[in-house]
Amino acid sequence: MSELHASLLNTPILAVALTLAAYLGGVRLFERLGRPSWCPAVLIGALLTAAALWLLRYEYIDYQRNVAWLTLLLGPATVALAVPLYQQRQHIFALWKPILCCLPLAAALAALYAVLIAWLLGTPPTVLASLAPKSVTAPIAMGILEQLGGSLSLMLGGLLITGVLTTIFVSLLAKWLKIDDKRILGFALGVNGHAIGIVRAFELGPTAGAFASLGMSLTGIFTAMLLPLVWRLLGV
Amino acid sequence: MKLLRGFLWLLAFQLLGHATVELLSLPVSHAMAGLLLLLAWLLVKRRLNESVATASQALIPLLAMLIMPGVVGVFFVIDEFAGHWTAIMLALVVGTFLSVLTTLLLMRRFMPREAVDTETRNRQL
Repeated sequence: MSELHASLLNTPILAVALTLAAYLGGVRLFERLGRPSWCPAVLIGALLTAAALWLLRYEYIDYQRNVAWLTLLLGPATVALAVPLYQQRQHIFALWKPILCCLPLAAALAALYAVLIAWLLGTPPTVLASLAPKSVTAPIAMGILEQLGGSLSLMLGGLLITGVLTTIFVSLLAKWLKIDDKRILGFALGVNGHAIGIVRAFELGPTAGAFASLGMSLTGIFTAMLLPLVWRLLGV
Repeated sequence: MKLLRGFLWLLAFQLLGHATVELLSLPVSHAMAGLLLLLAWLLVKRRLNESVATASQALIPLLAMLIMPGVVGVFFVIDEFAGHWTAIMLALVVGTFLSVLTTLLLMRRFMPREAVDTETRNRQL
């Protein structure tokens, strides 16, 4: 029995099957709960996976090694993000001026505020590196983290929390500042809240959704090109 | 077959990104370089290859599932970062609040108004 247990834990098939099952279960539960924006499907799926690992006495390190067969797809899936970006080119060409004025500053500050606060509170460099890409879409953020060094899991956790907080703060501040331009709200959701922000933006309408995707892609590219360079120069 | 051909294109661009990053020792990830190269290629060609479009439509919806194994790790590093969680949460909450506020103010300042009016007009028609 224990041999079977060990051999099952050793095959990538179980890790992949477990991941697919947990993800599908997460999506199903997410729908049942009425698509709550404070609790994305990935988070439910991750909780289910963690519970399964615990029940199976499956070490996270072993799981991670086996599931790499699946997560290998992250590379080509990231490359594929060039396609929607290419399809949005007319928005970029039409509004290059406001985008050029806002995006670099907004994307840089999205990273800077959090890093600065964490640094003032005296957190170690690993934590700072894990917080820096918090507003970048996960596949690109993982690439950035490779360059900075940091904890992948902490970074992804921070990413999810940032996404959820963004949807809350955008609704709140839009009311305060009396902003109802769907392009502005969409853009703010995408720049700060990556994929989770996009989901919220599409609830506001297709214009907000398109601008959110645009904001997310540009923030990802801008941050990926600049952050590792800045990090290297600062010698963190 | 379209899917496979498109997938091969994506892999080719990732490998191209890999080679570029290593040769020039750039501080970006291989996949990110592949994304930029594919985007540049599409902009130059001004035409979206149908198989690339098919493969990207198939892969992009999987992104959430593909990052999930990494997210699972959060539950296993809680002890590792014990003592830093207050700082982390403060940085996330206050940092995100400030950055959302800044983006909204910046965009309100720089976004041209006319386009909104056309949009509203179109909706009313």
